[in-house]
Amino acid sequence: MERTIIKTKNLERVYTTGAVKTYALRDISIEIKEGEFVAIMGKSGSGKSTLLHQLGLLDKPTKGSITIGGNDVINISEKERTRFRLNELGYVFQSYNLIPELTAIENVYITAMARDLKREEYERLAEEMLAAVGLEDRMHHYPSELSGGQQQRVSIARALVNKPKILFADEPTANLDSASSEDVINLFRKFNKEIGQTIVMVTHEKDEGEKADRIIWVKDGLLDMEKLKSI
Amino acid sequence: MESNDLKVMFYLAYKNLTKSKITFMVIVAVMAMSFLSITFFASIIDGLGYEFEEGMIKGQTGHLMIEPHEDELYITDSGDLVKDIRRIPGVVGVARRLDASAVARYETIEIGNPVLFIEPENEKDVSDYWRSVIAGEYLSKKDTNEMLMGANLVKSYAAEGDTQKRFDVDVGDKVTLSFSNGFVKEYRIKGIYKTGSRFVDDKMMINFDQYQLIFNFTDDIASNILVSLPQRGVEDSYAEKIIDLGVSKQINRWQTKMGAVNQFVGSLQITNQITGTIGLLTAFATIYIIIFINVTNKRKQIGILKAVGIKKQIILGSYVIQSLAYGITGVIIGNIIMKLLLFLLSVHPLSMPIGPVVPILTMERLVTTSFILIFASIVAGFFPSRKAADENILDAIFGG
Repeated sequence: MERTIIKTKNLERVYTTGAVKTYALRDISIEIKEGEFVAIMGKSGSGKSTLLHQLGLLDKPTKGSITIGGNDVINISEKERTRFRLNELGYVFQSYNLIPELTAIENVYITAMARDLKREEYERLAEEMLAAVGLEDRMHHYPSELSGGQQQRVSIARALVNKPKILFADEPTANLDSASSEDVINLFRKFNKEIGQTIVMVTHEKDEGEKADRIIWVKDGLLDMEKLKSI
Repeated sequence: MESNDLKVMFYLAYKNLTKSKITFMVIVAVMAMSFLSITFFASIIDGLGYEFEEGMIKGQTGHLMIEPHEDELYITDSGDLVKDIRRIPGVVGVARRLDASAVARYETIEIGNPVLFIEPENEKDVSDYWRSVIAGEYLSKKDTNEMLMGANLVKSYAAEGDTQKRFDVDVGDKVTLSFSNGFVKEYRIKGIYKTGSRFVDDKMMINFDQYQLIFNFTDDIASNILVSLPQRGVEDSYAEKIIDLGVSKQINRWQTKMGAVNQFVGSLQITNQITGTIGLLTAFATIYIIIFINVTNKRKQIGILKAVGIKKQIILGSYVIQSLAYGITGVIIGNIIMKLLLFLLSVHPLSMPIGPVVPILTMERLVTTSFILIFASIVAGFFPSRKAADENILDAIFGG
């Protein structure tokens, strides 16, 4: 039986500006199974990225609960959240967000280094990851020397180097051409199939969403029940 | 904090510093220039003050000046006293002087002026007059009808537009001196001296023996005895040695005889402290702003590092290390440039109206300036990076 890796209950995220309250998320209760490749879709401003940020511990919901691997990740200290992000989660951002002062391999192994691995080990892991995303010949290049697609592949290698429980990707193809976009989605599919990597990806491209196992539709900060029923 | 955290902290700092070479060079250059702007100006003022004091020591007071008690006009048995003091090990020179005043006349010009009676050879050991002769020659012991005249009394050496009454004389001209006892004698100008200090360049100097002739004294008297020592700062120990000789006269340190120069140098030092403090504050603000902008520009990077699980303390520490590197490198380079400038200016001193001035950088100023600039760089690195590290991750990455 597949184990639930992410579970949210009545998740709510409100932004307050003076007396005005804006509900970015309301009453979101979802479950994601281990090894699942899930796409979160919806129109611009629907709340899909906000949902991903809550699941990925990059932001804190104003109400509701989130458990990851059975652990409550809301009521833990900032220090524990940082440790959780380092050891259990991986991130791929829309604009790659690599550190410009680090080469590809350094960008990949910096988080492994922070886990107190020995130099040989974190270098080997980073090399393996870069080879897995097809960048074995670009390891010592700086981000400014790589194309957008290559940078996003480095970003995927960085996200996976610590063998995270979940990989979160926030519109990972939005800045890429169609060929590079396909490469990235194929890589996600490959890691999902080959190593059973759980992936939660926000996208607004329907054909990319269709490559996922399941789509969670979000509309106006709520789960889009109509679309969910229609699948 | 774990040892691995330190490793990551230094690694990130090292990568940032080595990859952003231009940023590093610009910030270090600003640090070095700030260091120089504070220390260089201050060292010139200190050098100027030192030169003023040296001018007085080498023209007027010596390191020690022995004078008669207030109720006495002269030091008696001065010749023996000079010999005794000269025997004290370490004493560089001893010379006695007699002071008088006279009305000097050349053609139609008359000026009342101090006259200094000196022993030309002994005087060479305590003052710089013999080195300051700019026309003619210095006095010799045999010169009984010759005098040295200060450049401030000579018209041709006056500054343009100066309306003070002066003699239109040159070397070889004869000036008549009328003393208070009615004695009148004509002296030929053998040399004109100029030390650069307006406090001592207004004298006429005549051989010591002439005093006895003019005032009909047979006693071995002197108005004061100047003692030159190997360096400043040892006056007290030599004063004690002179007291041990049984001398009961007033033994004055040069500091107590500076008069207006003391006030002037004191004013210079206060000015120096004020400009130094303003300079330090300006440098502090400049460095703070530059490092602040640099760290603020890394806000996104700080957010990314936090997002991927790098501890806040590691990120903060790496920026403080970077700032420390800017500070220490800037101060070291500033020190090196300053040392080079000081060396160059010791070989080719600055030419100023009071004479050549060599800048002086005290250890206290060097340490204070270095410490404050390094401190400024740490503070400038710490606060903005802490602000960025405390920020919400999404705000830091996406700008909020």
